[in-house]
Amino acid sequence: MSNTSAGQGELLGDAVSPRGKLRPRSSAASKRWQTVVVTGLVFCALVSVFTTIGIILMLVVESWGFFSDDKIEIWKFLTGTKWTVGQTQGELSYGIWPLLSGTLRITGIAMMLALPMGLVSAIYLSEYASKRTRSLLKPTLEILAGIPTVVLGFFAVKFITPYMLEPLGDFKTFNATSAGIAVGILCIPLVASLAEDALRAVPNRLREGAYGLGANRLEVTLKVVVPAALSGIISAFLLALARAIGETMVVALAAGSTPTLTLDPRMPSQTMTGFIVETFKSESVVPGTLSYFSIYAVAAVLFLSTFGITLVGQIIRMKYREVYD
Amino acid sequence: MKDSVAQPRKHRSVARRKLFNNSFSVICLLVSSLAIVVLATLLVAIFSTGGNWLSFEMLAGSHRENNPEESGIGQAILGSLVICSICGLVALPIGVGTAIFLEEFKPKGRLLRIFHGLVQLNINNLAGVPSIVYGILGLTAFVYMFGAFSPIRVNDQPDHEIGATYFYQTKTLGGQYVRFPAVPLIQPVIKIKQGRNASKINGDKFKLNVVSASTEKSKYANQVNETVLLGTEAKLSSRNGNQVYEAKTIGGDSFDFPAEATYSQFAKIIEPITVSNSDGDTFSLNVLSKSEPIPTDPTILAQSVFADSPDPNKRSSASIFRENSLFHLHLPFSKSVLSAALTLALVILPIVIIASQEAIRGVPQTLREAAFGMGATRWQVVRSAVLPSATPGIMTGAILAMSRAIGEAAPLLAVMGGVLGTTNHLSSLMDKTPVLPVTIFKWAGDENQGFEHLAAAAIIVLLAFLLLMNSLAIFIRYRYEKKLS
Repeated sequence: MSNTSAGQGELLGDAVSPRGKLRPRSSAASKRWQTVVVTGLVFCALVSVFTTIGIILMLVVESWGFFSDDKIEIWKFLTGTKWTVGQTQGELSYGIWPLLSGTLRITGIAMMLALPMGLVSAIYLSEYASKRTRSLLKPTLEILAGIPTVVLGFFAVKFITPYMLEPLGDFKTFNATSAGIAVGILCIPLVASLAEDALRAVPNRLREGAYGLGANRLEVTLKVVVPAALSGIISAFLLALARAIGETMVVALAAGSTPTLTLDPRMPSQTMTGFIVETFKSESVVPGTLSYFSIYAVAAVLFLSTFGITLVGQIIRMKYREVYD
Repeated sequence: MKDSVAQPRKHRSVARRKLFNNSFSVICLLVSSLAIVVLATLLVAIFSTGGNWLSFEMLAGSHRENNPEESGIGQAILGSLVICSICGLVALPIGVGTAIFLEEFKPKGRLLRIFHGLVQLNINNLAGVPSIVYGILGLTAFVYMFGAFSPIRVNDQPDHEIGATYFYQTKTLGGQYVRFPAVPLIQPVIKIKQGRNASKINGDKFKLNVVSASTEKSKYANQVNETVLLGTEAKLSSRNGNQVYEAKTIGGDSFDFPAEATYSQFAKIIEPITVSNSDGDTFSLNVLSKSEPIPTDPTILAQSVFADSPDPNKRSSASIFRENSLFHLHLPFSKSVLSAALTLALVILPIVIIASQEAIRGVPQTLREAAFGMGATRWQVVRSAVLPSATPGIMTGAILAMSRAIGEAAPLLAVMGGVLGTTNHLSSLMDKTPVLPVTIFKWAGDENQGFEHLAAAAIIVLLAFLLLMNSLAIFIRYRYEKKLS
């Protein structure tokens, strides 16, 4: 349709749209104008391409600034178990594992909360809920998803820790559990809405077939609908995982600023994002210093893990999607 | 194991199946309602902590160190609104443009199709990049601009700048402030504050590194002859008839670089000059010698300074000040409102694109076909048929993206640092400003207990803004749905 011949174009070039907003133009002028517009649109699209290129380039170049320092060996960075960058006294250790394990601990706690709860909520919303409960639950989840993370961080440190965790045991003021719970809370709506989309995409024919064979709602859900939507559910899980790994303000407020290598969920646990924020907060970042470059090295690890997980999630969703049409 | 495969599965009794089914639906309901409980708890906790602290003074005031009772969020609200507006102005056109490109201009060529697919994949991936990474990108790309320009330190004059006027200001004997315009001059001695291109005595050009004492000198340990300490003095001299500044590196080598006219930090007043006071009156400043008796008439005193005085309080040297116009810009953007807004625009760009794409996809194909049938070009179809019906959807997505932007703390913390209050008002895009989420973050971490309540009060304000924006989005969605049916 776009390659209207010139003759037709001349006749119809001044066509008035259904809404009558077009200015009369000759066909050639319309085409020229279209070229200008499309060029503009391509530039818009290039902004996001350059954003990605910018992120990768910046992480590579500035991390190089970190690893090219005489005191830094990349092997020790990847395997070391102590992180003291940014601390003024003591020996310099720059093993990423305390930060990485902090991220993994908090992410683990968050996922233990968010995956089952998100999935169950999704199942309920898609398979069980009446229109009325749905009209109550769905907006609640949307509001929960829209709460700024700094607010959830405040909630974690001023409410979850003192009122929910400290009565239970010897929890430190800043600990992995409270941050994990808060991150979990913000992942629940994400899992729920993505998984619900996947469940709803399963055509009703499948459900009706199973009902016809005498299955009840639970059996239809668990044996037919969930398996059919599995790729979408897994990709929802992966996106939530990436979100939890990259979550910043909650952990900066609730998880403390001590990098620890422990399995104890009551201990403080600085994450990769927590370290970055801590460095920015102190406003002592001077370009060219080791702590400035260390931000980029940590951010590179952070970016690689979230980018990798998101990519895998997308591939799963595209490749293993069951197509019913 | 083998048996269980061979034999048909044991049939559960109908009663058991029914029990499972019913108990699962109860579990489902309980788990799902937990979201409501969590939300309710959160709101109750925040309102009970901060509700009493909300007041007009608090909404209008600004941060006071160690004084939560008198602190407020006026500056932060203004800062958040300004940054979000600029961010929206940048992100919305670009985002909608990208969405139109992706949805309506699907190319036919193979190479272009690959580009198209890559852009789409890239946007989905960008949506998953943590916002702190965007913050670091903003810091690198906007604040320092990849080190392409010399970084701007506090009280420095940037190399590349428009929209700023410099003036000298001094206090008269009567205690009034007067000012006169500053003229850039080639100073006899300057202090080296930033890296620059320089040349050695033999004419070799090199890039000069500047290290502060706190910066580890070891970074440039093998380049001692290309590195100076911050604040090293350079003296004016001439080489081949050109005026240059000459100085020595840490290693002891001499080097020089072309002399430029700069504003000196102070100006001495030795002869009468025309000045203006804060009321805008211009007059000639009396310059008194110390040997003269001090006049007693206050109007004369208000227009007089000592020529020079050993007493620092009476010294008549004027110091430099800068007045920024609204369009003040310098390169790099440094830690400023503009950097912050551009960074936030990058954060919400994928959200805007994805939402706009969905809105455009929702436009019925018949509308496009009708327009094509009337001979419209592809762009005319988009402009006059697709966009008008997609606008409500795009608006909804845009508002939701903006509500994401107003709550983002991490990228702003990276780009502007933890600013809590500024002494001067927000006057240009190159100023720093506190913003709501960062203020909440800093207050929540403050040791003074009062700030905890203040942070909760600020959260209430932030949530009120979010509620306002979401209601607007719902309102638009509601009208849109009515219109199409």
